[in-house]
Amino acid sequence: MNNDQIFNALGGGVIAVPGLLLAVLGLAALLSRSLSEEATTRWTSACVVAGLLSSIAILVLMLVSGSRDVSLEFGDWVVIPEEHFHLRLKFVFDRLSVPFVMLTFVLVGTIGVFAHHYLHRESGYGRFFLLYALFLLGMVVASLAGTIETLFLGWEFVGLSSALLVAYFHERLAPVINGQRIWTVYRISDAAFLLAAVALHHATGAGDFEGLMGTGPWPGGEAALTSGQALEVGLLLLIAAAGKSALIPFSGWLPRAMEGPTPSSAVFYGALSVHLGAFLLLRVSPILELSIWLSAAVVALGLASAIFGAIVGRVQTDAKGALAFASLTQVGIITAEIGLGLRYIPLIHIIGHASLRTLQLLRAPSLLHDYHLLENAVGGHLHHRNGLPPRWTPPRFREGLYRLGFHRGQLDAALDRFLVRPFVEVFRWCDRMERRWTDLLTGAGSRESDRVPPAAPVVEEAR
Amino acid sequence: MNRSIAAEADIPEDRTGLEAVDQLEHCIEHATHRLPAQGPITVFVHHNTLHSLEDLPFDDAVKQGARIYGCHPYLPEDFYRGEAARGRIASKDLSAVLIDDLGEDADWLLGFMGTRYHLRFAMLEHPLRPGTDAELRWLIAETDALHRFRDEASRDVRQRMIEPTRQWILRDYLDGQARAPARGADGIAALIAQFGASTMERWTDRTWESFTLHVLWRVCHNGVHGIPPFAEGAPLPRRHRDLLLRATGQDADLLVHGVLIRFCAAFLDQGFAAWPLPDREAGFFRSFAALYRDERRVAAWLRDLPTELGRLERSAASPLESIDESLRLLGVADAERGEYLSETLLALRGWAGMIWQMESNAEWAVRPAPAGTLQEYLAVRLILERLALRHVARDALLGTVELRDFRTVLRHRIPQPPRVGVEQRAYLVFQLAQVRGWSPTDLHRLPKAGWSRLVEEIESFDSLERRRIYHHAYERGYRNQTLDALLIHARRLGPVDGSVIPSSANGQQGRVTFQVVCCLDEREESFRRHLEEVDPTCETFGVAGFFGVAMYYRGVTEAHFRPLCPISIKPRHYVQEESIHSFADASRFQAEARRRLGRFSLRVHMGTRTFVGGLLTGMLGSLATIPLLMRVLLPRRTAQIRRLFGRMVTPPVTQLHLVRTGPEPGPRDDQLGYSRAEMAGVVGGLLRSMGLPEQFAPLVILTGHGSSSLNNPQEAAHDCGACGGARGGPNARAFAQMANDPRVRRILAEDGLMIPDHVFFIGAYHNTCDDGLTYYDLDRMPATHREAFQRATTALEEARQRNAHERCRRFESAGLTITPEEALRHVEGRAEDLSQTRPEYGHASNAVCFIGRRSRTRGLFLDRRTFLTSYDASQDDPESSVLTGLLRAAIPVCAGINLEYYFSRVDPTGYGCGTKLPHNITSLLGVMDGAESDLRPGLPWQMVEIHEPMRILFVVETTPEAMLASIAGEKSIRHLVDNAWVQLATLDPETPTIHVFRDGGFKPYEPVADDLPTAPSSLAWYRGWRDHLGYASIVPVGPCPTLDGQGGHQ
Repeated sequence: MNNDQIFNALGGGVIAVPGLLLAVLGLAALLSRSLSEEATTRWTSACVVAGLLSSIAILVLMLVSGSRDVSLEFGDWVVIPEEHFHLRLKFVFDRLSVPFVMLTFVLVGTIGVFAHHYLHRESGYGRFFLLYALFLLGMVVASLAGTIETLFLGWEFVGLSSALLVAYFHERLAPVINGQRIWTVYRISDAAFLLAAVALHHATGAGDFEGLMGTGPWPGGEAALTSGQALEVGLLLLIAAAGKSALIPFSGWLPRAMEGPTPSSAVFYGALSVHLGAFLLLRVSPILELSIWLSAAVVALGLASAIFGAIVGRVQTDAKGALAFASLTQVGIITAEIGLGLRYIPLIHIIGHASLRTLQLLRAPSLLHDYHLLENAVGGHLHHRNGLPPRWTPPRFREGLYRLGFHRGQLDAALDRFLVRPFVEVFRWCDRMERRWTDLLTGAGSRESDRVPPAAPVVEEAR
Repeated sequence: MNRSIAAEADIPEDRTGLEAVDQLEHCIEHATHRLPAQGPITVFVHHNTLHSLEDLPFDDAVKQGARIYGCHPYLPEDFYRGEAARGRIASKDLSAVLIDDLGEDADWLLGFMGTRYHLRFAMLEHPLRPGTDAELRWLIAETDALHRFRDEASRDVRQRMIEPTRQWILRDYLDGQARAPARGADGIAALIAQFGASTMERWTDRTWESFTLHVLWRVCHNGVHGIPPFAEGAPLPRRHRDLLLRATGQDADLLVHGVLIRFCAAFLDQGFAAWPLPDREAGFFRSFAALYRDERRVAAWLRDLPTELGRLERSAASPLESIDESLRLLGVADAERGEYLSETLLALRGWAGMIWQMESNAEWAVRPAPAGTLQEYLAVRLILERLALRHVARDALLGTVELRDFRTVLRHRIPQPPRVGVEQRAYLVFQLAQVRGWSPTDLHRLPKAGWSRLVEEIESFDSLERRRIYHHAYERGYRNQTLDALLIHARRLGPVDGSVIPSSANGQQGRVTFQVVCCLDEREESFRRHLEEVDPTCETFGVAGFFGVAMYYRGVTEAHFRPLCPISIKPRHYVQEESIHSFADASRFQAEARRRLGRFSLRVHMGTRTFVGGLLTGMLGSLATIPLLMRVLLPRRTAQIRRLFGRMVTPPVTQLHLVRTGPEPGPRDDQLGYSRAEMAGVVGGLLRSMGLPEQFAPLVILTGHGSSSLNNPQEAAHDCGACGGARGGPNARAFAQMANDPRVRRILAEDGLMIPDHVFFIGAYHNTCDDGLTYYDLDRMPATHREAFQRATTALEEARQRNAHERCRRFESAGLTITPEEALRHVEGRAEDLSQTRPEYGHASNAVCFIGRRSRTRGLFLDRRTFLTSYDASQDDPESSVLTGLLRAAIPVCAGINLEYYFSRVDPTGYGCGTKLPHNITSLLGVMDGAESDLRPGLPWQMVEIHEPMRILFVVETTPEAMLASIAGEKSIRHLVDNAWVQLATLDPETPTIHVFRDGGFKPYEPVADDLPTAPSSLAWYRGWRDHLGYASIVPVGPCPTLDGQGGHQ
């Protein structure tokens, strides 16, 4: 067996294993044969360990063989020759994707073990692990993606599972509202992503990353685009990344994601999902180099988000919210680093930050315990005035900063008012017109739904 | 009243403003009683969730609570049915409770349909399926409901229904005799045609069955048709928001709460946020105004807020005046203000309750709230509500409505509640007829008045009433089991002579080798039982776990004094743990090291959330994978390593600063500790109240208890309730030191209490989560006691292992075949596991409290469900003053625990705080669900899931007369007892007779069972069981069986 075959086998394994897990858990749920907690955990840990070992093996093999860029093709699924379009499934193992996929397996695996205890006897245990498998598959596909279509596929899996996990406690109102809001922000980011793909296709005639990175292993590739095209495509991708990584102006969704069970908040929003935007920017880094304006935009957005996160985080009074904004600060810095042309530093930063934040979020319910220990050690109540804002600044400025933090920059309200409201108004207008027209045609109230009361009748067992 | 406000409000002044404001203050004060009374979560004190309703009888109070809070009064009917199906609720208990409840009405006859009792019993025994009209129409059309009898209908009943129908149809109906002209439209003729009139003689039994049911359904349907509804529909809600929600499906509170939650959290924050709220000192209203006054609000509904706030600030209106104005603008009449404000406060009751607690009851907190905060909160809330209502109404109703006329307009827009459907009523009768055997013939002849009575009868026994009866039967079953077990076990023991050591115990003829005094906590029951099984020559006692030592205590590594005593007591004494003299230098060094380490970890902890610090830690963050993986995969090992490091910075030998030098107690150095006389008072008081042992053993071990677990915001709820939700180890240690002091003993001897010189007391601490045992001050133990101590510790070690093993039977994640060593490791791992949401089950098994001599319960398997308090009536004075003292502590504390568990289990998301999984600690005060929600007081689902919600049963070993006399003057106890919030019984000290308290007096109890199972050991009885387990006498045969087969301790 030569190297290529081994690579193919191992690489196929890395991708197939999460797919297998999803298939097993999904089919079990579909056939109403819910697996026991033990069985679910056995499947989960076996698959994660297999995936992790395969990816480590690939890393070792890459180091030994000196090959820095291995790709795995699953052929063209759709080919439209006259449009030069082909939908290709292609995966790449290189210096960016292998560390990222290993990080995914380690963190997701740890969370699997954690959640097995944490969700013990919970009625949604199976549902959690099903979404968990979907998330894992999404993360692996997105990290290893070699074409923009493949990346989009993984990206969607991650988005779907994230939103559903936020809405995990669907018997309460707030998780559903927040889950839906996150889903909506993700749609905006997806729309930007798709537009970028179309624009790219328009410019190069192929959706392959090669169009973006040119040839050559990451991070040395060169893109075959003009500076103008790069700016256009790059800005769209920046919007996509901002939505996914909760950069300004989409930052409002990050604390809302803390509705789910602690482990999912920890790994998905504290650690992995939130870095996916930065990962996308790393992936397409060659086009950042083509346009100084694009790089500047990335740096500016990253720094603005980081500063924003630092200010808002200091005002938060709840454990998980504070950690969410602390994550945002770091993601902002990482984005800025990418914009500055660094490649390996952001990667190390992502890995370190993800691990640290996961640990912190998992320990969030211990906060009181930890504070008590710290108080005893320090010998008094904890006073931790951070340097910001400095004492010499005028009080009005300090209050202004506090207000900015407290109201979270009113970003959510601004999105609602300037982005959502116009949409809703337009569609309501359409609705009114339609109603008027149908009422005219039927000569009476044409909407059956108007007569349905907003609440369903409750039978005897009333509260 | 301020002129400008009156002008704004545009309402004629019909009374003086002062009066209105006074009345408002009274209303708010009144409403605060309904708010949850849980303070900051770090000090968790169990209390009755419906404390404010304690002056009502229990059943009325839970219904009232259901109305006020929108929570369940009892468990759902399905739960009780399940319990009846598996035999936990016995049919005889149901019928006994029902007869009892109906009294003389039980025999009220409803013609051929039997008595009221029969009717109700049938409704309890056989579940009636309710449903909406649409659901029932589907059921009739698509299932075999009209073809086959219900499964519960017996053969006999089926025959009783089919035969008359057949006769009636064949003999009378076809002849036209039964067909009254007015009843021509009853549809039976059509049915006959449908089934095939010509082939009627050849119809099979199944056809007749189906036909009978069809006729029955038709008859029922016709019968109930046109009967007016009996129960009045629920009144329309009072709050504008509720009406708006009903009318449009849009919730104005969503907007209001978004603002309020964030602000309340910032205002009450005890130091979590790095930047505190500016202007916090100015009070709730002013700091709120400062945040919202200047800025342009982007959110449309808040656009008018700055103007509104500015106007109020300029007019310098007091909060009460502002509330008054808001209520006028909302058109709330004077008469309904109390209820309206109460409902408004309850809309966000967790936060409102916490504000009230921080304002009225938390002077010890880092940042208590100033007086009047709740009023300011209410003022702000009403302003926000006005804005939100106006906004939502504009959005949904497509028009502007004056707020004052808001409710009138909305009431007309609310869809009419559906009338009681004919299908629903018909289906209830249809189902009942099948189990009671009412033939269609008889029902067909029933006049309309009869139908009306029948329907009224059925509807008066609604779901709520059924659940009440079920619940009483559920409690009755366990009560009878308990009382029977106590009686039979007492009889088995023979006459009680006071000595608890079986005289046959290994030839030692009643010599007690050591005595153990535990907390009365029901979690110590199994520990004591196992100890007595392991070493039958020991004796155990149960007392309130602060051992009479009410003190403020500060450990050597702790920063603050904290009270260690029940919350009802305010301690006067201060006690401090200090390192001993020869380690003083090392200790100073260690304290410095601890401080530096603490500062460093605090800096890291905070630093990871900042810009630059986060950048640095982010780069090195991969190192965090090591603790992450270790803590998740190997929690127990990690904890051992951490403890090892911890030991390096903790002084190895410490002592209590217990002897006071100054005259008055206080926190200063010379004021620390107790005087000898005070010590003698503590020691004598405790020994006398628990019933002085006939003989002191050479070794008396006192074990305080507490619990430590990780990732558990409600950690303090597992600690000792008698120490006010703290750990009782220091109390035991202090008591032992006091009792060992020869000068204290001399004072006691003068008082007539002789503690022989050869008796030595040892303090210890029992961790109920990992079943660890720590002994204090062993260095002071005389050499003469080493052997006795060796023997005692061997037994205690074995007992804690067995205790861990018994606890593990309740944990699904521990196998049923686990060995005691593995069990101990398992519980140790649980306590240190970040991912463990059930470190222990706490008080989840509480059900009974026994107050009396241990000899009455020794050797009885109580399944960790019984609080055990030692009390000896024969040593009490004629006024039973010792008993009064015990009850004063035991009844409120145990009832508080029991009722909090009751309500949190009965409605886990309403009264309890729901599942732990999304909990988010906020402001260092409490938990929210997820990102932003109301504060959640109460117990989480993981703590109560195995609890059987029942009112606690107190069994006191005394006579009914003494019992009544001892509680006669205790108002708080009488409230609980008279209003049946607790159940009470007495066990006669001399004879095995029991009296139960009912309707204001004690009635003799008639035993139900005549046998009680026996088992050779606790293990033999509980092995293989997960669920709650019944009583059994543990009667050892031969050498005590042990689990590892190494032979027992004899």
